[in-house]
Amino acid sequence: MIQIRTIAWREISRLRQRFSGGVSPVAVLILLAVLGALAFALRDVSALGSGLYRVGVRGDAAEIRDSRFETMRVDAATGAQLLATRALDVVVDGGAVIARDDAKSQYAVGALKRYLEKQQVVELAATQEITRAFPLRVQIHSIDAALDTPPQEPFIPSLQAPPTPFADVIVAFLYIMPLSFISIFFTSSFMDEKIKRRLTLLLSAPVTPFQIIMGKMLPYIAFATTATAGLALVTRAPIWLALAIFVPTSLFIFAIYLMVPLLYRTFQDTTFIAMFVTTMTAVYLVFPAMFTDLSELAYMSPLTLAVKMYRGEAFGWQEYLFPSLPMLLIFGITLYVSSRLLHEEFLMTYQPLTYKLADALYWIMDLRRPALSIFVMSFAAVPMVYLAQLILLAIATNLPLRFMLGAALVASAGVEELVKTMGIAVLISRREVQSLRSVTLLAFLSALGFLIGEKLLTFISLGIVSQTFLSAALFNTGFLFVPLAAHFCFTAVVCLLYTRARIPYVAALAGGIVLHTIYNVLIVRGSL
Amino acid sequence: MNAFLALMKRDLASVARERTILIAILIQLFIASFSSALLLGLLSLYDPDAVSVSARVNLRVGIVGALSDALVPFLRERGVQVVRYDNLDDAVGGYQQNQVDAVVMTPNASNDIVTLDLYVPRAEARASLIQLVLQEPLRRYENVLRAERGIVTRYADLKGAPPTTFEFLYSVILPVLLFFPAFVAGNLVADSLSEEFELNTIETLLAAPISWSTVVGAKILAAVLLALAQCALWLALLRLNGTALENLPLLWVMGGVLAGMYGVAAAFIAVWFKNREQAQFVYALALMGALGASYLFGVSPLTMIARLAIGDAYTGAGNVLVYVVFLGVMVLALGVMLTRRAVK
Repeated sequence: MIQIRTIAWREISRLRQRFSGGVSPVAVLILLAVLGALAFALRDVSALGSGLYRVGVRGDAAEIRDSRFETMRVDAATGAQLLATRALDVVVDGGAVIARDDAKSQYAVGALKRYLEKQQVVELAATQEITRAFPLRVQIHSIDAALDTPPQEPFIPSLQAPPTPFADVIVAFLYIMPLSFISIFFTSSFMDEKIKRRLTLLLSAPVTPFQIIMGKMLPYIAFATTATAGLALVTRAPIWLALAIFVPTSLFIFAIYLMVPLLYRTFQDTTFIAMFVTTMTAVYLVFPAMFTDLSELAYMSPLTLAVKMYRGEAFGWQEYLFPSLPMLLIFGITLYVSSRLLHEEFLMTYQPLTYKLADALYWIMDLRRPALSIFVMSFAAVPMVYLAQLILLAIATNLPLRFMLGAALVASAGVEELVKTMGIAVLISRREVQSLRSVTLLAFLSALGFLIGEKLLTFISLGIVSQTFLSAALFNTGFLFVPLAAHFCFTAVVCLLYTRARIPYVAALAGGIVLHTIYNVLIVRGSL
Repeated sequence: MNAFLALMKRDLASVARERTILIAILIQLFIASFSSALLLGLLSLYDPDAVSVSARVNLRVGIVGALSDALVPFLRERGVQVVRYDNLDDAVGGYQQNQVDAVVMTPNASNDIVTLDLYVPRAEARASLIQLVLQEPLRRYENVLRAERGIVTRYADLKGAPPTTFEFLYSVILPVLLFFPAFVAGNLVADSLSEEFELNTIETLLAAPISWSTVVGAKILAAVLLALAQCALWLALLRLNGTALENLPLLWVMGGVLAGMYGVAAAFIAVWFKNREQAQFVYALALMGALGASYLFGVSPLTMIARLAIGDAYTGAGNVLVYVVFLGVMVLALGVMLTRRAVK
């Protein structure tokens, strides 16, 4: 603990040193300007399509004040002429709307229709008696439980806004922005020390790799937590709830950024990998949250919880654990993995990424106990597989339904087979295991570890995603024996193809994926 | 000149060797596909006009009551299957036997205020989808009721096409695809310059008979060339995808000009701070600030790019020229700063 504290203090003074010499006031000023401009830009989120349409107006046409429409007054002849030459998209002549038949003009009419509808409601509300202007009320009841729920307030159709969680998601996303900045600094610090070989120095001191990582990470975690609490305070959210939601998220982001400097070596690489990681995490966090209330899968993102928090709606333990637990598990696993990788030999060898990854797997495993290592590795990889599959599922949902199912099945089979066989493949290629018997045994243990992990996670998540039929395919539930046999078969096939038939690993893996996909299809067919 | 070319080639080679550019392209592809996923998935779910367009919604509504005649045609036009029932109990029975998804009950007589009762399943997701689909028929019905009360609504029968996809494509996807290569170009310049500073290789470079401006200029030009290649790729892919793009050469030039502006700005920052963490941080902040400010002052290139692409009659080479001139001024300023530094 004392060592961790020492390293943490050293990290803070290093950071102060890096940022001394004039940058801080500049940075603060720019930051303020940025936030001001951003707030202004966000004020008008409907700026989608700004300046896209040109509208000619004539006579007593309704006033059009919207950033999307550029209006000009025309007389009848020039209006018709400009419309014909495509200089105008649409002409509003008093109460009539004149358009062409082509797509651009029709889109303009569609946009105009929405705008005018909205304006009309505002106008009616201002000028007419309320019961005459809004003569319709709709009362919503629950059809399942007839009388025990108190009826909601009836709504007026034309005053009902669509339930977009846009604004809430943007507020929730504000939490992620400082997190990514802070973790980029964390990565930079690691990278810097790696390049200047100061890490080597640290490693020769009487501290464990785990203490180094924790010590270096601690200040940044503290910053991140402070930023989260600060944001919660400013946006008047319950601070403890916000911390409960975003601390797992920040640990998850740190975990990912911890891997970047371990695997890469140049500045450019780090910048771009960091950009890639930022995009991926942003997509993973924002995308599902947009579907709050529309799909139970929205709970895969902690931002959904934040949206619920800002709306003052309740959520249960299961909903909380569904996104948070995999994130915490990944953080724990990454800590373990990187403390095994943080040594001179791994850090200083320069090889292509695939070799580097294989190298990483090699170092993670305990070579005296390969069987146990493989079992634990497959077991521990389940949260990552699970997150990867959820991301794939989210991306696949925008394909047409037929392709969506197919793509999701193939992709999930691919991820699973890769995770189950990569450890064994590394052992084979480094000649740590040779005999047919031990390869088969390892394949069995890998399948077993994976299956146990999978079932445990299914147990947690089933309550949430049970309504999505795809989850049946991805987290298939059935007799334990059938999936175990299946997992074992695929793993063994890939490993044996690789070791006995001397087929390249990628090709062997492809074979396993084909088999697994066929199995998945059979499962889905059966369950539908 | 030879030194300039050699330096440029060195920078391009290092980008190619580290496969950095591949990652950059992957990010852009990811952002673009994510945005369109967001568009198709999200907007078709939240956008009342687009819901019926997506064929996945297949809604059956049971309807009860005497006032339903006016509402039914609107529901049918919306693509909702309507089943009539004599009373609420039958309709709820129909729901339990999975014949309908929701029930609308209309009152028997028209009062000042007409109250409909809408019965929906308790599952939140399903209920909000049903409400979303019913929104438009209900509004049209509301207009009918207004007309009965003597209120005339103008522009009530406008049709048109749902514009969201169109707006999104030209005002989000296309600008993002042209901006991102520029952003990457700036990052490359900032990184490769600050790397030279941090590893002290800049001293070696300057010991050779090469000026500051040559070193920095070569780096910027290499990054701009990469950006131009990426822009060409994106424009070609968009065209392949069936997106109509007018003024293609101007769009491409605009991509290059943006990359130049970002590259020059990044060079300023990197030469000023000489330290990668600071340079990247300030660059990212300055970038966001510039975007926000250009939006604020209404000179945002986003709108111009969108207008160029849809073939707006009042937008053309003149608008691009403004940015070219601005880029020229930035390059001059950078040149002055670098010569001063060299004199020092």
